[in-house]
Amino acid sequence: MGELRNVIVFTAAGGRYALELRWVREVVSLGFVTGVPTAPTALCGVCNLHGTILPVLDVAALLDQTPGPPARQGDGALVLETEGIVCALRVDQVDHVATLPEGPGGLVDASGRALKLLDPAQLVRRAQEILVAAGTAAEPTEAPRE
Amino acid sequence: MSDSELDFDADELVMLRQLFCAEAKDSLEQVTARVLATGSGKPTGETLTEMMRVTHTLKGAAGTVGLHGVVDISHRLESVIAGIAKGSVSWVDSSADQLVEVTDGLLAYIDQAGAGVAGADVTAVKLRGQIDQIARGNRRRESLPIPVIESPPETVLEPAPHDTPVPEPKALLRVEPERIDDLMSAAGELLFDRTRIERRVQLLRTLARDLARTRQSLHDALDVEGPPSKATLSMAEGELAGQAALLSQTTASLLDEIEALRRTIGELQKGLTRIRMESAKNLFLHAARTLRALRRATGVHVELRTIGEETEFDKAVAEQLLDPITQLLRNAVAHGVEPEEERIARGKSSVATITIRARQDGNLLVLELADDGRGIDTVALRDKLVATGRWTPTRAQLANDDEILDALLGTGVSIRGDADELAGRGIGVGLVRETVARLGGEVKVSSQMGRGTTFSLRLPLSTALAQAMLFKIGGQVYAIPNVHVVDSTLVDAFATTTTVRHEQLPVLRLDQLLGHATADERRAGIVVSFAGKRLVCTVDKIIGPREIIIKPLGPLLAPLTLYAGATISGSGKVQLILDPAQLVRRAHPDAPEGRVVDPVSAPMILAGRALVVDDSRAIREAMTSMLGREGWIVDVAEDGARALQMTKQLRYDLVVTDLEMPNVDGFDLIVRLRKEDRYRSTPVIIITSRANPEHRARAKELNVRALVAKPITRRKLLEALATKAPQRDDA
Repeated sequence: MGELRNVIVFTAAGGRYALELRWVREVVSLGFVTGVPTAPTALCGVCNLHGTILPVLDVAALLDQTPGPPARQGDGALVLETEGIVCALRVDQVDHVATLPEGPGGLVDASGRALKLLDPAQLVRRAQEILVAAGTAAEPTEAPRE
Repeated sequence: MSDSELDFDADELVMLRQLFCAEAKDSLEQVTARVLATGSGKPTGETLTEMMRVTHTLKGAAGTVGLHGVVDISHRLESVIAGIAKGSVSWVDSSADQLVEVTDGLLAYIDQAGAGVAGADVTAVKLRGQIDQIARGNRRRESLPIPVIESPPETVLEPAPHDTPVPEPKALLRVEPERIDDLMSAAGELLFDRTRIERRVQLLRTLARDLARTRQSLHDALDVEGPPSKATLSMAEGELAGQAALLSQTTASLLDEIEALRRTIGELQKGLTRIRMESAKNLFLHAARTLRALRRATGVHVELRTIGEETEFDKAVAEQLLDPITQLLRNAVAHGVEPEEERIARGKSSVATITIRARQDGNLLVLELADDGRGIDTVALRDKLVATGRWTPTRAQLANDDEILDALLGTGVSIRGDADELAGRGIGVGLVRETVARLGGEVKVSSQMGRGTTFSLRLPLSTALAQAMLFKIGGQVYAIPNVHVVDSTLVDAFATTTTVRHEQLPVLRLDQLLGHATADERRAGIVVSFAGKRLVCTVDKIIGPREIIIKPLGPLLAPLTLYAGATISGSGKVQLILDPAQLVRRAHPDAPEGRVVDPVSAPMILAGRALVVDDSRAIREAMTSMLGREGWIVDVAEDGARALQMTKQLRYDLVVTDLEMPNVDGFDLIVRLRKEDRYRSTPVIIITSRANPEHRARAKELNVRALVAKPITRRKLLEALATKAPQRDDA
């Protein structure tokens, strides 16, 4: 039997995922989500969390899958803090918090179903890549000088 | 006595009066604080002496700046206080209230008199009446509802000293000198930071020029028939290696320097924030005054207790909190505190207590306002939420008490059944939340039935307040910093340019940029200006200028350069702030910052090291400054001979020379330069006061880029720099 992990199990955009609890700072119900034009679909928008601006991300888009519906006020979200970045993952539903063994093919929940264990650092890095790419693409082209 | 008899001119007088008003305000607040601290009891002899000292000083200062009405009132006040101290004026329960009223009134009067406001005379009469009443020993308590200066009644007034109308005084900020010193040193540091970064940028420009040269040599080598020689390639490779190393070194240093700049800016911000800090004292004073007025208006017996007077926070925050505090106090008096009989029946003290507590928690200010009243009946509130149709019965049933209390902060729910004059039916509490949310904070309510209610406000100690223009696009609100908004206009459908104040400006369809369909009708346009460039942004609707609090978007969103930050609206929604620099770049994509579009569509010579040769020092200085602004590193020589020496030591990318000079003249210099390999094709520009056809012919022969007639302007110079090299079509 593999290592035991304290995880939060949730569904988002049709997929079932687990995240280690130590990365999850808060489980919140989102306030009004402001869309960010020109941003890639991985960024659902920004919202106000205790007076700071919180980026809301779409898990599926970060994993290069079909993104879920646009985030709306009242949607659930997990607030993550990793690599000095605080962001939220929009979720459809938080199932439960559990201690699950890690098997060869990932985590297995109580009913024996496999779960994808997400690596928050990797998710954030992927989000950064996507945003940097989008930011560069949106830059107006300068006239060539040479 | 009129102002003309004073020793000051009008400007001086304005300034002195401003200073006096600030000083008077401080002194009188001290008096008020002392009276409030004593409660309704008679102040001690020491306190009274201090109060006399303050009013006496006030009297003297007011005389100096020619505010004789203030002298009179201060004198009367001083006499009354002296009377109280001696016992010749009796102290009654209402004396404390009256004294506070007088000091408050005097404050208002000083403001009015200092500004030469017409109503000042009325205030003076009223004040004299109030002071006389204290002096007469308060036979009867006046039943005034609220201690506010009323509009002038139609009384015939004695002619009061007529002050010359002086400009409206500005609010003054009094700051300890050390705080300014810190700021000054940070500002000085900023200059160093700038110089360092500018130097780096120049280096980068030189590097770009070197790279172009290496590329050109590779290009030339490829043009030659047959495979390029190994020697050429290895030389180019060597150059590239050097350039790559220099580039990475320069970027590393640049990053360090930007980090230093960030630190300096941080220092500046901290310094500015400290200047704006004030203690909770003023807020507490305001609360004490408000509660006094409420007590008189309602007859409810309630005492104020304050904790954490020394807590410091931004003046701007403090000002924004005045109304919420008033609202919460009204709320507590109207809804929180039970009638006396009920309190006694419950075994509580007959006098209710409201406690305001301020403390710092990390970067947050926590302000708690607690009453020891009846608490909030969550059952009744639940019913009310359902009855008013705001919540479904199921939701109300499922919600826990915290959620129910939280709903109270939404607008439109009242705690008590009947509409109440004082506390405005719960709407007031909603406004509290809005104000606090706008400041980037939160409000929480907690309550215990029978024990009391506590509102806690958590908000940032300081705020970066800025003026911004707000507008709507696609149903969403956006902002642009107001300093960059110069005008508004109307833009025709599909227009790509529009004329604003005789200037043809490009139109940026913001709706399109932000992913919305462009409407085919006339639109409102905002004229944005940044770094000397202007454009018109079309919007759906202009909301208008507002004071906003700028919040950073955080590191994750930093790559989205279109946005400079965000702000939070009163209802807690995030609104994005557009970066004017980016808007300008989008509207002027072919005009990189600080450069004139070159007129002959030839590539401009990239900046590098330039040599300016002229026997006039003024011309040398002028050229150095003009070229320097274009990124050139400039050396100068006073004649051709010196120039020749210098060209042997260094390789210049541009030579700008005069023709008539002692020793070696301009043409001589160019002839000799052209004989050398490294200067065979170096761009040369001639500046001269006499350009005849003969000169032109000779210049052409010598492969001179351009002849520029004196006087030289930046425009002429840039055109010369942009002139095509005569012998080659591709530079």
